[in-house]
Order: sequence, then structure tokens, then C-alpha cells
Amino acid sequence: MRWRPALAGLLFVWLGSAGSAADVNNSSPSFTAVFLRWVSVPKETNRLTVEVSGLSREALSALQAPEWPATNWPRVLAVFVEQTGTEPLSMLGEHRVESGLVRFVPAFPLEPGLRYRAVFDAGQLPGAPSTTAGKVTSILQIPVQREHSTTTVTQVYPSADVLPENLLKFYVHFSAPMSRGDIYEHIRLLNAANQPVDLPFLELAEELWSTDMLRLTLFIDPGRIKREVKPLEEIGPALVAGQRFTLLIGGNWKDANGHRMKRAFMKRFTVGPPDREPPDPQRWSYQAPPIRTREPLAIDLADPMDSALALRMIHVVDEAGRAVPGQPFLTDRERVWKFLPQHSWKAGHYSLIVETTIEDLAGNNIGKPFEVDLFDGVSKRLERKTVKLPFELR
Amino acid sequence: MKTPSLLAASLGLALLAGAASAANWTAGMTEGKVALKSAGPITFGPDGILFIADTKSAAIVAIATGDTKGGAGKAVKVDGINTKVAALLGTAADQILIADLAVNPASQTPYLAVTRGRGAGATPVLLRVKGDGSLEVVSLDKVKHARAELPDAPVEGVQGDGKKQSNPRQESITDLAFLEDRVLVAGLSNEEFSSTLRAIPFPFQKIANGTSVEIYHGAHGKFETRSPIRTFVPFMVGKEPQLLAAYTCTPLVQFPISELKPGAKIKGKTIAELGNRNRPLDMIVYKKDGKDWLLLANSARGVMKITTDDMVNAESITTPVPGIKGTKYETIEAWKGVEQLDKLDANHALVIRKGEGDALNLESLPLP
Repeated sequence: MRWRPALAGLLFVWLGSAGSAADVNNSSPSFTAVFLRWVSVPKETNRLTVEVSGLSREALSALQAPEWPATNWPRVLAVFVEQTGTEPLSMLGEHRVESGLVRFVPAFPLEPGLRYRAVFDAGQLPGAPSTTAGKVTSILQIPVQREHSTTTVTQVYPSADVLPENLLKFYVHFSAPMSRGDIYEHIRLLNAANQPVDLPFLELAEELWSTDMLRLTLFIDPGRIKREVKPLEEIGPALVAGQRFTLLIGGNWKDANGHRMKRAFMKRFTVGPPDREPPDPQRWSYQAPPIRTREPLAIDLADPMDSALALRMIHVVDEAGRAVPGQPFLTDRERVWKFLPQHSWKAGHYSLIVETTIEDLAGNNIGKPFEVDLFDGVSKRLERKTVKLPFELR
Repeated sequence: MKTPSLLAASLGLALLAGAASAANWTAGMTEGKVALKSAGPITFGPDGILFIADTKSAAIVAIATGDTKGGAGKAVKVDGINTKVAALLGTAADQILIADLAVNPASQTPYLAVTRGRGAGATPVLLRVKGDGSLEVVSLDKVKHARAELPDAPVEGVQGDGKKQSNPRQESITDLAFLEDRVLVAGLSNEEFSSTLRAIPFPFQKIANGTSVEIYHGAHGKFETRSPIRTFVPFMVGKEPQLLAAYTCTPLVQFPISELKPGAKIKGKTIAELGNRNRPLDMIVYKKDGKDWLLLANSARGVMKITTDDMVNAESITTPVPGIKGTKYETIEAWKGVEQLDKLDANHALVIRKGEGDALNLESLPLP
């Protein structure tokens, strides 16, 4: 990207006070050429500084004098974003006097598409007489970035085509980091008639992004799922069993570089009956990999599980309880959990350690459904934090 | 975000105890540059100490602002604060996200946690509003500070490299409050549908795991669910300090702070159902006409003024109760579009609310 100052700043300053009365009588008025220019910071594409050259040595030392208050700086040299309809406020930055120059270093990079105005006012120099004339201005238009629409939605979990009526969340995965703020404008849940469902998601100002901004967690508003809460009584559930819905991710959403997405994304699915059964590891089955190979261990989870939690909350340990190094992954629409070991399997006793806070698609935990009927199942609740499932390889 | 002043005043003896140790609040702090990866919710403790939730770093940072004087309860009005912040930071207004507003009770100075930019390189900035309405960046280059990392919970039965395997959950911090000598932190997981509530002793030492809080639901009382806390405020109910928490599925719940212990499961009491489209944003407590009131900003309706009268006697819901039971509230219709709310002084609230177009206005309003 190239930075083009729209206007070169050059000012002839009348230094009337410099000489004595005799000088004034004997010579023509002394002028000094003051230049104002934008300078790019090497190796930092969107960092620029403003330099003022041509100031007298006296002026420079006055600017460095301890009695010159730093609060006066913005009146001498300042940078403004040109915005219509707002009063100009100078941008934050640091003023320096160095190498015979006055320099302003903006605290932040300058942004593509915006116009910046640098203003130097010679009349505000320390000791400048009221007769000192003139401001010099230089305007810099940062070019708009050419749009590179390459970012796409790579996957939405759960990946199944039939989802429970009490589905708790979606995970939306992107091919590149995305931008934060007002994200819910770009997300719609459409019913079978392609009409948007009113406020189906929990709209959190915090926005539940992964730290790399590649994955967004989208909770269905729990008020539209839970029984006997007001929203459900007032406007009903977001998802209705037996009906078809579409999750639409709009293409106008911008990625972290400010480029719109390559295309919109749609996930079409049918809603099935609610799932109020907690996942039960006793119903899980496994396929033992042959020893002396790196074949993955495969666990059939009996039901699809929450993708992120299944990858995080199931662990393989050896007989001593040490974690077996390897990589978990999910297949069969998050119903089968597989584990690719780092080293070949050895014969011996192993266990699967499953954290009971793992969730299925409806947020049911092991031993605890999403909603506990207090007058029925509360005593049966599991208090353990993990469940151990031993297996042997030979 | 919310100041515990009213609570402290009600505590009486506790206030004295707090004052006795006031000199030690900066004990253990180091002076230097504070590196924030993000700036989420903020709140003030005593002596101008500001707590900032750095969600990206999973840490709470305490900063001694040194801002402990002044503030004569002057009216505040800064129209288009978002465009002013944008100009100061050299960017466009749509690149400014205001995460939180907190008033320093020691100086009545409003502070803003702001993010410049929306992408991966977004920069957190802390600002304060001076008496003349002008904005000032709070420099974090050389400041007394302390830091508390929020630990991951260990996984029972799994040994990592010679130690317990930890569970690297990703968590967003939804709210912060300071109470007596503890920072209360509500966290919302990016994955599990649950929230943790941590009580971190201050000055920071070792951090306990979050307290998992379970609540009964609604006046019906039949179903118990876990649900993330959206916003909360410490408050006195009778003689016991309580936390009033607004949940993502709209009930307002109270539970005693004394029960906030590591690993504890608390049964909160649902005291009001706020209804559909009512996403709780911020809460403050205040005193007026000799009574304690709760003010709740939410996304859809005007701010709600809630009486605390019934809370003292609110019964724990352990049997099914027919119909809707709940605390009474009044909707303050004039307070539309409030996005941020804090208490400015005994008689005024400070809000950021939507103005014309995309403008956000900072203004003080008399407490209703």
C-alpha cells in the first residue's frame, strides 16, 4: 500500500521579532520555510509520523524548555481524523523534538479509508508574537483496502441434519479470524417459510469467540428452551419439532481485516423431539486398535455430543493414570470419538476418563439432565466429576 | 461497574474493618507497564483501585489509578462519546466498542473500557472523562498494579506431565464487583453452558476455583437448571450480604455471599421473572426515601426499578408454587436505550445510552 499526502505542507513564517529595530530598518524581513510532511515508519505499513522541519534553533529549544507545558503541544502540531458532523478532536500521540525536527508520533496506526489532517500552527510556538501568521496543513487520505473476499464458514456444529428441539448451541467455524461487534446482525434463524425467527439466540455483548477469533459459540436463548420460564410461555420455543429451519450466516460480515466474507452460508436442518436424557457412558462402546500400531481408538458415544466439549473432556490414560499423548477427533456427525495416539499402542490396561460436565446437543450432562425435576430425580444426581471407563489392549 | 458504597454503608462494622486495612490495598503491587490483551468489564475498589477483566488473558488486573480526590457530584453530559473516543484514537466511530463504564467512587470520575478495532489486532484502551467533559487516556505505561490469573480447573484422574491435567476452558468474563476485600467475577464459558462465580481475595493471593452456582427456576420451582449469570450486584438483604444476579434466561436470583466457597453449590432464590426480550445488561443498588432500590438496565424495555422490600422475606422456593410469584417492579420508560449503567453519586446514575443516529451519549440522570 502506498501513502500519498494529498497536500504538501509548506509555510513561510514571518519571524518579525527575531531582529532588532535597526535590523528591520536595514534589511528585508527574514522568512523561514517550514515544511510539514507525513513520513512512513519503516517496516510498519500503517504507522506514520508527522514531521515539521525548518524551525529555528531558538524555537526548537523553547519547545524543549521545562517551562513549556506539554498540554500546549496539540495547539502547535496535531493530527485530526476528518469526520463530518463532529467537532475536531486531536488524535492521541507523542510529540518529540529530535534531529532538528518536531515530530508527532500518533499512538495508533492510521486506518484505511480515512482522511487525516495534520496541522502546524506557527502562531502557537513559544514566544511567538501575535503577528506571527499562519497555519500549515497537510491532508493524508489512507487508501481503501481493495476487498479480498476469501473468508468462508468452514463448518457449523452440530453437523447433523436432524437436531433436537432443545438444541442448546451452534459452533460456527471460519476459515480466517473474524471481526467482533454487532455480530448478531449477520446471523439469522429462518423457519420453513424462510421467515426469520424472532430473537432465537442469546445475544451477549461479550460475544463468545475462541481466542483466535476463528470460532463463534452461538447459544440458543435458554429462555426459549427451558420449561416454565416466561419467554417460553410468552412466545414459545425457537425451534419446533417436526419443522425445518435454516441457520443463515450473512456474507456482509467482515473478517478481521475488514473484508466481507466470500459468500453467505446456510445450514439447513430438521428439528426432532427434545432430548432430555443425560448421556450415559455405560452405553458407549469401543473398538480396540491393534497394538504396535498407531490406529485410532474409536469410541461410539451412542448419541452425538457437543463437539468442543467432546474434544476437550474425554481423556485416555494408562494404568498409572498418566495421559496418553495423542489427538482426538470426531466423526459420524459427532457420534464417534476417535483418538490418534502419538506413539504406537502398547499392550496393557487403559482407561477413558470422561468429565461429567461434557454435554450432548441439548446441554444434558452425564448423570444430570439440562433440567432436573426437583421432585423426581434430584436424589439420583451424580456428584462425581469424572467417569472412568477401563479397557484393555492386547 | 457497580460500586459497593451503599453496601459498605449498610455493613457498618465491616466498613470500619475495611478502613482499617485501607493503607494496605496497594501492598504487593508492582510498578511498571500493564500489558492488557483485552479490556472487558471494569469496577472500582477502594482508594481509586480499578479492576479490569482481561478476558483474552483470563486475568483480572488491579490498577492503582491514584485518582482519589475531587468529584463534587457534577452533572455529566458528553454527547456522541463514541465519536469523540474515535477521534481521540484516530479512527472511525464504528471501530470503537465500549465494553464497560465504571464510576470511581473516590473521585466520581467516569472510566471507560474501550476497544479500538474489531479484528484480531484490536487494542484495548482505558479512558476517563474529566470534569470539563473532555476525554483522557489512562496511561498504563508506569502504574502500580497487580494481576490475578484465573486458573483452569484440574481434571480428576488424569495426570499430565507429572501434574494434574488442567482443563483449558475458554471463558468470557461477564461481570465484576468489589466487596469488602474480595473481587467477585462472573465467568461465562465459550463451550459449557454454565457460569462460574469466583470470589478472589484482594490484595491478590492464590485464586480459588470458581463457585458453581445452581438456581431454582421461577415461581414454579419445579425445574432446576444451571444457567450463566449475566450481571450481578452485591446487596444487603436484612443483615446478610447477598448477591443479586440476573441470569441469561431472565430470572433475578439472590443468594448469600457467605456461601460463595470453592466448589460449593448454592441454591439461589428466584425473586423475579423479568419476561421475554428482557436481556439484563447492568444493575446498581441505591437508597432513596429511606428504602433500598435496585435498578436494572436491559436490552428491550426502559430501565426497571425494583423494590427490595420483598427480598428480605423472600422464601426459598422448595415446593411448587402455582402462578407467578415475584418482586414488584416499575419500568422507567424515560430511560430508553441504556447500554451502560453505574452509580455516579448518592442521587445520580451515569448511563451511556443511544442518541440520534449511531451516537452514544454519556449522561448523568437523577435516580428515580
